[in-house]
Amino acid sequence: MKTFKSYIILLFLLPVICSCTKVVNLNLGNNTGKLVIEGNLTNVFGAQVVKLSENVPFSNTNTYPPVTGASVMVADAAGISYPFTETTPGTYTANPLAGISGGKYTMTVVTGSKTYTASSVMQAVIALDSLSSRDDDFNTSKHKKLVTVHYQDPAGVVNQYRFVMFVNKVQVKSIYAFNDDFNDGRAVAIDLRVNDSGDRDFGIYAGDTVTVEMQCIDKPIYTYWYTLMQQGDNGPGGGVTPADPPTNITPTSLGYFSAHTTQSRTIVVK
Amino acid sequence: MTKSLLSVFLFSLITLSAFAQKRHIISGTIKDASTGETLIGATIRVKELSSVGTATNNYGFYSLSVPDGNYTLLFTYIGYETISRPVSIQHDQAINLALSSKSDLQEVVISANRPNNDQIASPQMGVERLNMTQINQVPVVLGEKDILKTITLMPGVKSGGEGNSGFYVRGGASDQNLIMLDEATVYNASHLFGFFSTFNSDAIKDVSLYKGGMPAEYGGRLSSVLDIKMNDGNNKDFTVQGGLGLIASRLKVEGPLVKDKGSFMISARRTYIDFFLKASKDSTIKGSKLYFYDVNAKANYHFDDHNAIFLSGYFGKDVLGLKNLFGTNWGNSTGTVRFNHIFSSKLFSNTSVVFSNYNYAIQSFLSDNSFKATSQITDFNLKEDLQYTVGNNHRLKFGVNILHHSIAPGNITTDASSSFNAKSIEKRYGYENAAYVSDDWKVSDKLTILYGLRLSAFSLIGPGTFKTYDAAGKVADSASYASGASVKSYFNLEPRFSAGYQLNDASSVKVSYNRNTQNIHLLTNSTTSSPTDLYVMSSNNIKPEIADQVSAGWFRNFKDNLFEFSAELYYKWLQNQIDYKDGAQLIANQDVESQLTYGSGRAYGLELFLKKKYGRFNGWIGYTLSRTENKFAAINEGKYYPARQDRTHDLSVVGIYQLTKRWSFSGSFIYQTGSAVTYPTGKYNVGGLTTFSYSERNGYRKPANNRLDIGATLEGKQHKRYHSSWTFSIYNVYAHRDPYSITFRDSKTIPNTTEAAETSIFATQIPSITWNFKF
Repeated sequence: MKTFKSYIILLFLLPVICSCTKVVNLNLGNNTGKLVIEGNLTNVFGAQVVKLSENVPFSNTNTYPPVTGASVMVADAAGISYPFTETTPGTYTANPLAGISGGKYTMTVVTGSKTYTASSVMQAVIALDSLSSRDDDFNTSKHKKLVTVHYQDPAGVVNQYRFVMFVNKVQVKSIYAFNDDFNDGRAVAIDLRVNDSGDRDFGIYAGDTVTVEMQCIDKPIYTYWYTLMQQGDNGPGGGVTPADPPTNITPTSLGYFSAHTTQSRTIVVK
Repeated sequence: MTKSLLSVFLFSLITLSAFAQKRHIISGTIKDASTGETLIGATIRVKELSSVGTATNNYGFYSLSVPDGNYTLLFTYIGYETISRPVSIQHDQAINLALSSKSDLQEVVISANRPNNDQIASPQMGVERLNMTQINQVPVVLGEKDILKTITLMPGVKSGGEGNSGFYVRGGASDQNLIMLDEATVYNASHLFGFFSTFNSDAIKDVSLYKGGMPAEYGGRLSSVLDIKMNDGNNKDFTVQGGLGLIASRLKVEGPLVKDKGSFMISARRTYIDFFLKASKDSTIKGSKLYFYDVNAKANYHFDDHNAIFLSGYFGKDVLGLKNLFGTNWGNSTGTVRFNHIFSSKLFSNTSVVFSNYNYAIQSFLSDNSFKATSQITDFNLKEDLQYTVGNNHRLKFGVNILHHSIAPGNITTDASSSFNAKSIEKRYGYENAAYVSDDWKVSDKLTILYGLRLSAFSLIGPGTFKTYDAAGKVADSASYASGASVKSYFNLEPRFSAGYQLNDASSVKVSYNRNTQNIHLLTNSTTSSPTDLYVMSSNNIKPEIADQVSAGWFRNFKDNLFEFSAELYYKWLQNQIDYKDGAQLIANQDVESQLTYGSGRAYGLELFLKKKYGRFNGWIGYTLSRTENKFAAINEGKYYPARQDRTHDLSVVGIYQLTKRWSFSGSFIYQTGSAVTYPTGKYNVGGLTTFSYSERNGYRKPANNRLDIGATLEGKQHKRYHSSWTFSIYNVYAHRDPYSITFRDSKTIPNTTEAAETSIFATQIPSITWNFKF
């Protein structure tokens, strides 16, 4: 539904306004050196990864100091613990394992003198049926394409999804998080729109190889991604006032721990 | 109880006045000589008794009590010839008069009007009256003269920014303004996302904005009342007037139904921005719809000197359509029936039945994503207002108000092939009732007190299922109610008080206190207004918003009232303010109240205003120094933080210069501190994306906004049958960039870094030209 709001705004702003964008220098504050935890556990048998790093000032390059020497483990509901070892600085991996749908997993990270914990429930696998592509409704003159994901949402249960899209193996810098508030039990088709305020030509064109990963996520993780998605939409029309998204980690740190299912499909756009 | 108190109060006033000197009442209606329009706020004074005077009410009616004797009455109204009329008072008298507009006398309005010192003499403070002549001369974007944009040039009123017609009064949020068109609430006062207001200035007679010291007859919103009255229609002659502009055209027809007894007025306007879309190379944009239109209509009939009926209505719609993919429309409609009855020269009554509606629809036609979503809010309002003149020292106003709200928050319909489900959110019903009494008491020649009390009673009623949520947003309790059953009621007493002490003919000091409550709240989680913004009523979870305001002011006129100066200080406490939680889902959400969090606020400031009222050159300078802060337990660690509408400095300068009979020029300049925004204080990487981290809410400022607009009007040569004029304007003369949004993103040019990019809407001059005609 939100997409439609941005439709309205786009439509109005395109013709009337010389909406001019320019890069500006801002004197931003500096509240850095804070711990960032990114923990993922999937249903695919393999090395599961927890990454620890610190945030940096806005003006720095996008390189984030790793947090080394931490103790990381994940336990399942039966109390079995899976220790993670630091393979490269800041990256902690466990021996190959797979999460099971319905299972509750608890991550524990001990770094410095603090212990952080977070729990997440692996959701049931909902099949990603297919991807399709068609001409974009906007920018028809540029012959941009639009990729749509298709899946059958199960009726009567609450589901949350996150999609990650790669165009020619490069991740698209947009967040796609949806729930079934408006389409519970339906055959769902969702357009994954690609916007880049810095590059109007950026998009998907015929011949591109597009891969979409579908994750079935639990509610707290949905709220995490949905909040980030809303804030990303701060172009014309005004996004929401930004804040750090609500995390499932206690005590509060940046980042999240997500136990989710994963599956991918790839198409070559015609 | 209230009733018996009231009668004791009335009785004592009546007996008091009975012992006074033998007095009689002069009453009547003041009209415009050429159109028969009643004049609101025309003043009537007695030359021989400097302390005796009054002004006409919203229906042009006045009532004045004087001791028996011979006097000269002076009838004045800005821009009109003053009439002085000798009278001999031995019994009650009706004096109905028509004043001639100076422009009708084919004279440039440069001669000093009869000076008046209303601002000094009246106890009312915190009020801005705008006269249509001034509104018409202030330059605005794309040449569409605009009441709301002009209002934001007054001190204490801040604009929501470019592309946003929301306005903030003394720190209040934009939904805390009660906007009334002929007494009907207008829920969305903007067209096309705020680039235009819903008020077509052709159809408007009078605009008053109350910022503080709110009279007791107004209630229901915390911050301000914007009371807009439509023209009644010319009851002497048929006239047609209109304008052709670059993006919009207007047409107004008015004339007598029965000469001198009844008249009508119809005014319509339509924009055609979508013609510009045709120029687009993009076939989807080319096939799009984008326009709005609105119609104001009014008719009145005066049965005799004591009875008159008025019918007025407004209908407006915005339509946007993206070829055959997507469409949306939204609009307000209002209707008002009013009956004026003059019981006696002392007692004036107005009865109104008011209807108001706002709705929107969003429709998608894409085969696998088709749906139609609608939402609406409908009000029925019954009002009875009475004005009673008791002696010369008391003027009473009292009345009751029964207002029924029904809100349909969201209704989604789909077809079988759609991805979406049909969904309907329960309708909500409520009554907002009020009774008030106020007295304008002239204690002495120097001191006047306006005091009153308003009782507001709000009830949320069934049918439906009503839930109570705990602080975490979980359902704590749920109960079903039958149709009409009371779910939750709130009663509030709202004292209102203003006092004015006149130091001398040219200066006075005033103080005021008022409490206001609000039971209907706007939920929005975007930083600008949107047609899909949602209204909710007070409930088990949402308590009535309460504001208490104190203000004090010094008023001084110079040079025989040619210059008006005022300085006002205010402090406002706000309780039960509403914000949404992070990640809130507000659209078509049955549990929307679980997404809210509650806090408090405070606002204070100093407003300075200097106005030159008459002459070849006139205009004003307004300056406000203020602070507005919110406090929510869940935000900013529970500390006060600047509200979005906080602007430290706000300066407006407006000048209008009549060069010759035919040429006039105008200019307006604004400067205001940038709005409070939240910027990142760090960055990190999650999910493969650069993500920003934040510290305090609204801890940064956008750059200050400043802009100069100029306009010119060329009046056509005088013809017997018709009149025409050209207006030219340039918006944003020195092409200032006012950042509309700032985006933080990965840089394209320097890999592996981030940058801030600002987007502005009107970064160039916007010229416009309009041709106006009248015959």
